[in-house]
Amino acid sequence: MSNDGSGKIGQFLQGEKEPSSSWVILVIGFVAALIFLVIYNILYPGQDLPVLSSLLPMFEGVFDSGIWFFILGAMIGAFAILGTILTEATIE
Amino acid sequence: MDTILSTLLIFWALIIISYILIQRGLGVLGEVVRGLTMFMLEKALGPGSDLVEGRKGSGSKIWIIQGTIWLFVSATLTFIGLWLGHDPIALHSLEAWGYNALSSELFYAGKFAALFGAVGMFIIGSGLHILPSLLEVDLASEKNAVLTSFLWTISVIILIIGSQSSEILGLDIILIGTAVNLLVATAITANQLLTKANSDVSLATPGWLIIFGLIGSPIAIISILVSGAYDEGIGQWLAYHLFGATFWFSSIAGIALYSASYGSGNALWSRTVAGVVIFGTLFTINPLGDVHPIMAVDMLGLSTAELVITNQDNVIGSFLMALAIIPIIALSSNILITLRGTDTFVENPDSAGIPEINFGAWMLLPLGIGSLFIQTDYLSGVNELTGISNIIQLMTIWTVFIPLTLGAALQVLPAASGRYPLSQNRARMAFWMLSGGAILGLVLTLISDITDLALAEALVEDPSTLSQTMRKSGSVIFYGTVLGAIFHATNIVSGLYRGDKVNSQVSISETTFAPTSYPLTSSTSIRKILASGAVLDTEVVPTFESNESGKPTPLHTEEE
Repeated sequence: MSNDGSGKIGQFLQGEKEPSSSWVILVIGFVAALIFLVIYNILYPGQDLPVLSSLLPMFEGVFDSGIWFFILGAMIGAFAILGTILTEATIE
Repeated sequence: MDTILSTLLIFWALIIISYILIQRGLGVLGEVVRGLTMFMLEKALGPGSDLVEGRKGSGSKIWIIQGTIWLFVSATLTFIGLWLGHDPIALHSLEAWGYNALSSELFYAGKFAALFGAVGMFIIGSGLHILPSLLEVDLASEKNAVLTSFLWTISVIILIIGSQSSEILGLDIILIGTAVNLLVATAITANQLLTKANSDVSLATPGWLIIFGLIGSPIAIISILVSGAYDEGIGQWLAYHLFGATFWFSSIAGIALYSASYGSGNALWSRTVAGVVIFGTLFTINPLGDVHPIMAVDMLGLSTAELVITNQDNVIGSFLMALAIIPIIALSSNILITLRGTDTFVENPDSAGIPEINFGAWMLLPLGIGSLFIQTDYLSGVNELTGISNIIQLMTIWTVFIPLTLGAALQVLPAASGRYPLSQNRARMAFWMLSGGAILGLVLTLISDITDLALAEALVEDPSTLSQTMRKSGSVIFYGTVLGAIFHATNIVSGLYRGDKVNSQVSISETTFAPTSYPLTSSTSIRKILASGAVLDTEVVPTFESNESGKPTPLHTEEE
């Protein structure tokens, strides 16, 4: 790898032992998310993004804000941390 | 004499007396106090002390692990607070359980979790490793350090409950949380001072910063009580900033300076500049933090007093805050140059924790100056900028305090636990999510706050849609900090069991350039050569400089 300024900035951005092609996947993911938002706006102009209760009507009046997607994600994260603590301590 | 100066004179006198006592000891009483303190730290706990093994490094490790979990909690609470800022009824369904979620209360809880949970535990955890390392002795009581960590966590839980409901069954919840917190802080301070007393080695500057951070807060409380300023608005404001200068700024400076040097393998750039940080921190008023000292007022169980400020207080307060920019610049520059050594770029950016310290040091100066403007605006009674005080404080916490303390903790943890985090890749990804989410999310919210302030001043009644969009985007982007905290927590916990073992031989990463030869122009240490990227096969070549004036200095490899 080159040792000039841009090469070192690349080293700083790139994680250790990370395949350089991983950045391609990240960029594809970013572009796909943008495309999804643009297409949604074209198909349903002026409408907000769907929330949990519009996907699952049984949760109407409960999960009727977009924040619940994020809170569910945080809860999964909390259980991931708890699971890691428990399983790492008990793994053979 | 005005309130600020009279209180500070007491504070400075007590700090100087404490320094002399720590340096010279207590004379004939020293042995008695030492024995009694050791008894209180271990034997007085009774069977409780038998619950833990007290292995070397266990105290530091358990504090840092719990700090990582609090990092996740604080990120989640702050994210919800930001979201409720633009969508106040998002959690209305929780009212069925009797909980009415408010943005301001979620911010308050998030600040307790971030400052006392994450930052506080990283500070104490890192300090428990750093101070004994600098003093070349073992920590006085590892058992006490482990046990008190759980009590500290309980105190943070109580403080968070108190932030949502300050009085339950007639009891002041935040005051109870403070009492538990002070008890633990006293035990940790005694533990660290006893460690210092057990050593004959001269303590390096970062160690003194950690010690002043520990003893500074109780001294600040005593100063406010003795001066009688606790029931005045200006006294409460000063108390808040003295806590900020001592436990937060001084301690963070100590652990960040040590970790910048330890992690990069470079010697500390300047001991004199580090000395300026100590002197400047204690003898000025640190401007970082909110303009309203509500956190200090609640924790001390006081009733909020109106800010009535004399002209003399205004001049002295503003002058001492302006002077505080000197230690802020000194700390930022010392960390940044130490990380770089003789190079223009960070020596070993692959090491977990180094990017966080680098990022925090960069953000320190702009936020220090921004806070100075806000505080002087508040003290002078203009109050044009107080509307952005909350978001600037959040930015200080998430882009300075947390990166610097998390970075230091990530550097210290392998030495304390004997293992590295599981994956440097995941640590890198977590860094980008945490720092990117914090800076982008909070800057967008700051823009939104400033827009709202400008519209309010212009008496525009219709809310700005652009401001609302910014606020929404800011809260969503801030979610990156939640993800970053999850990545860090799982990475660190897994690393304790399956991470690479720490060994004396420096492992060179594949992305680091390994030179085939190292020009030796002056005397240096083997540690420094290895930190520059050299491997065991690198040839160390003595070179001599040509001092011919007016020309570049050629390096040649043959001895004359």
